Amino acid sequence: MASEPNPEATLAGGGPWLLAWRQLRRDRVALGFLALFVLIVAFVLAAPLWADDVAHTGPDKTHTLEKIDVNGEQREVVNREGKPIGPVWLGAGGKFFLGADGRLGRDEMVRLMYGGRVSLFIGISSALITVFLATILALLAGYYRGWTDTAISRTMDVVWAFPVMLLAIALGLVLAVGGLQIGPLHLSGGSIWIPILIIGGVSVPYIARPLRGQVLSLREKEFVEAAVAQGAGPLRIMIGELLPNLSSTIIVFFTLTIANNMLLEAALSFLGVGVQPPETSWGTMIAGGFDLLTSSPLLTIIPGTMILLTVLSVNVFGDGLRDALDPSSKLRLEAHAGISEPEGTAV
Amino acid sequence: MKKRALVLLVLGLTTTSALGLAACGSSSGGKEGGTLTGTYASFPSYLDPALSYEVEGWTAMYDTYLPLLTYAHANGAAGSKVVPALAESMPKISNGGKTYTLTLRKGVKYSDGTPVKASDFASSIERLFKISSPGSFFYEDIVGAEQFAKTKKGGIPGIKTDDKTGRIEIDLASPRGTFTNELGMLFAALLPSGTPAKNLTADPPPATGPYVISKVEPGRAWSYVRNPQWAKNNSAIMPDFPSGHVDKIDIKVVNNDSTQVNEIERNKADWMQTPISSDLYNKVKDKYEGTQFRVENPINLYLFWMNTEKAPFNDVKVRQAVNYAVNTAALERIYAGSLAANHQILPEGMPGHEPPFNLYPHNMAKAKQLIEEANPSDRNITVWTDNESPNDEAGAYYQGVLNELGFSVKLKTINADNYYTIIGNESTPDLDTGWLSFYEDYPNPNDFFQPLLSGESIAPTSNTNLSRIDDPKLNAKIAKLGEEPLGPQQEAEYAELDKEFMEQAPMVPYGTNTVSTFVDSEIELDKVIFNPTFGQDLTSFEFK
Repeated sequence: MASEPNPEATLAGGGPWLLAWRQLRRDRVALGFLALFVLIVAFVLAAPLWADDVAHTGPDKTHTLEKIDVNGEQREVVNREGKPIGPVWLGAGGKFFLGADGRLGRDEMVRLMYGGRVSLFIGISSALITVFLATILALLAGYYRGWTDTAISRTMDVVWAFPVMLLAIALGLVLAVGGLQIGPLHLSGGSIWIPILIIGGVSVPYIARPLRGQVLSLREKEFVEAAVAQGAGPLRIMIGELLPNLSSTIIVFFTLTIANNMLLEAALSFLGVGVQPPETSWGTMIAGGFDLLTSSPLLTIIPGTMILLTVLSVNVFGDGLRDALDPSSKLRLEAHAGISEPEGTAV
Repeated sequence: MKKRALVLLVLGLTTTSALGLAACGSSSGGKEGGTLTGTYASFPSYLDPALSYEVEGWTAMYDTYLPLLTYAHANGAAGSKVVPALAESMPKISNGGKTYTLTLRKGVKYSDGTPVKASDFASSIERLFKISSPGSFFYEDIVGAEQFAKTKKGGIPGIKTDDKTGRIEIDLASPRGTFTNELGMLFAALLPSGTPAKNLTADPPPATGPYVISKVEPGRAWSYVRNPQWAKNNSAIMPDFPSGHVDKIDIKVVNNDSTQVNEIERNKADWMQTPISSDLYNKVKDKYEGTQFRVENPINLYLFWMNTEKAPFNDVKVRQAVNYAVNTAALERIYAGSLAANHQILPEGMPGHEPPFNLYPHNMAKAKQLIEEANPSDRNITVWTDNESPNDEAGAYYQGVLNELGFSVKLKTINADNYYTIIGNESTPDLDTGWLSFYEDYPNPNDFFQPLLSGESIAPTSNTNLSRIDDPKLNAKIAKLGEEPLGPQQEAEYAELDKEFMEQAPMVPYGTNTVSTFVDSEIELDKVIFNPTFGQDLTSFEFK
């Protein structure tokens, strides 16, 4: 009989991270979606290979008046009525695998891969910015309390009072033309750092507030009192004591924020205030395809599906990660292992 | 006897023909009466003739508010002819082109029964300045108008009217060859003296034309009924003006053009004012052309401008190279068949367009050779375009062309609502080159040359000469022609001016955007008139 892992031995043999990993390993669904996410990342990273060696074109190269050989038949990339060629799969040796993107006759597959790089880059970068800023603000507000907390929390309230989409649209409209000047740093209106900063910025209150609540709770714990008694300064307490205890929450928020920010980027780009041409993202591809929704619906469906799969994979994995890292999950695990719950530790 | 029989025969034939014509005159074979249901994609910015400066509003008010002169109710070039409306005849021009004298038709009444007076013309022009109408600048050359614009008091001394005789005399500060066209604009439509100097979209003023706006739901819908005074008085006084066939017109706003098309296909709406989007255009055209669908040619020009003040476009060779490099056939495809290629400044339908020419047939090799000869030191270019499809795609195509010529090109795509404000402001950085569409105000070539290419039009804000070309010799020609009323001689000179500018190549004109008339199966498509300036003529809609 195959031996079942002994939970007590597990608990005794590993720290919380190992515990979390073991919990995550049991969550086949989360791991499946993690694999899907890795596949998507690999797909978009392969963009230059596909563009150079298979499609022999770039993401912005137009082919409006060109013809291609599809299984021995000459076909126009864009016909006289302005309708782009649909998917030809491998009929043209990999060229126009998913057809052309519109009346400019750009290769849809190449743009999908390059667009995915931009979408993922924006999603991950903006999530990093969101989490980084939110963590700092939460630590400052929760640790210092008083006027610091009041100033930070009320500012968060003000930002929170604006609907996130409207705020992002307003910022996008303003910054898309003149760009952004922060001291010596200048970002031109077309830079993808503009949507990254906008998306990263407007999402901060949604993470900072719950984190602040957790900091307020943690700073009353005995281990913080012990650190104070040992003479630790505020910075050391925040970084050395509070931050490690926030890390599991931050990681979970990070994954979920990636998904939310990718959706926000797609929405902003669809509305023309996110990623600016000639940069391509899945959001701009949906916007471009929307004009041809009746005649070429795949131009909208394909990038939309990619967003759906990516967001779904990140969200489901994030949920799995939360189950693994969340203390309540640990309690469930302990209960399952037959270990009695210590009094006063319920979260 | 034979002679008498012949006379009787002639009389009989004449009577029969007259009766037949009378019958046709009322219905032309179609059905009189009924309610026309139309759809717009958006509510016009204004339903006030003094404020509307867009074709949507002009279509809506063409048959409602009449100026002293108007444009003939006809298709194509015939519709560009200025004809008398509330004036008895075309103006008498004297004093070296500075005085225009007209006489108001006697007995015309507004829809509320108020008699139309000559002094209403003066008050209507004054109202333009009082409400800061976007069209007031067309009348700034009237003596005293600029001063009135500042004070908004005391009247405009350059307009003298006599309510008894109906005489209207307009003195201009300098000759203005386009003034006849400007008197035919909706801005100069007569409204009763005392009409409030505010936006009257929600409660439109009384009308002089065959229809009156009877109900407005701002943002959603509006309706017309026949002007009660039209049949009683005005129709007999203006016999050349069409009376319309339908009794009532209901217009509603339907944002989605697929829904608009669908409603017409199911005969739920009779006509859609909105041009059909490129996605549906060919499908609708293939299915309904000739029966319910017709391509129309308004007068407009789509172009890429090049800033002649800045490198690399300060070199004529570079500008000519770009003209050779842009392939209008590719742009026709990008516009999915709704663009008619044109590589000269005056588009088809505009006097002076004939004969058509193309100094720069597509030739990429020649373009590259010219760039090599010019060897521009600055190869970093910003291309501007708006975000409306397919203009954004035209911008992306243009970017690709410039890249192919060896430039490093950044594309800036701006929200269409702000586009003209941004590119017309000289403080906007990197205004190198970009897309532009330009629609006529009236069918006079000066309306294209003066704003687009005269040095006088270069302005720090709201700049319309985006190429910033300022050639004294060509400026003088524009100014001279601008003072002369349009005639065959002037048309020939404008055609020559077109060539002279295209040799300087400050822009790449690439085509004229067509629009469409799409009606349901109950409307007589052949009878629908599309005026190149005002769009579909509501008096021409007739049920089968």
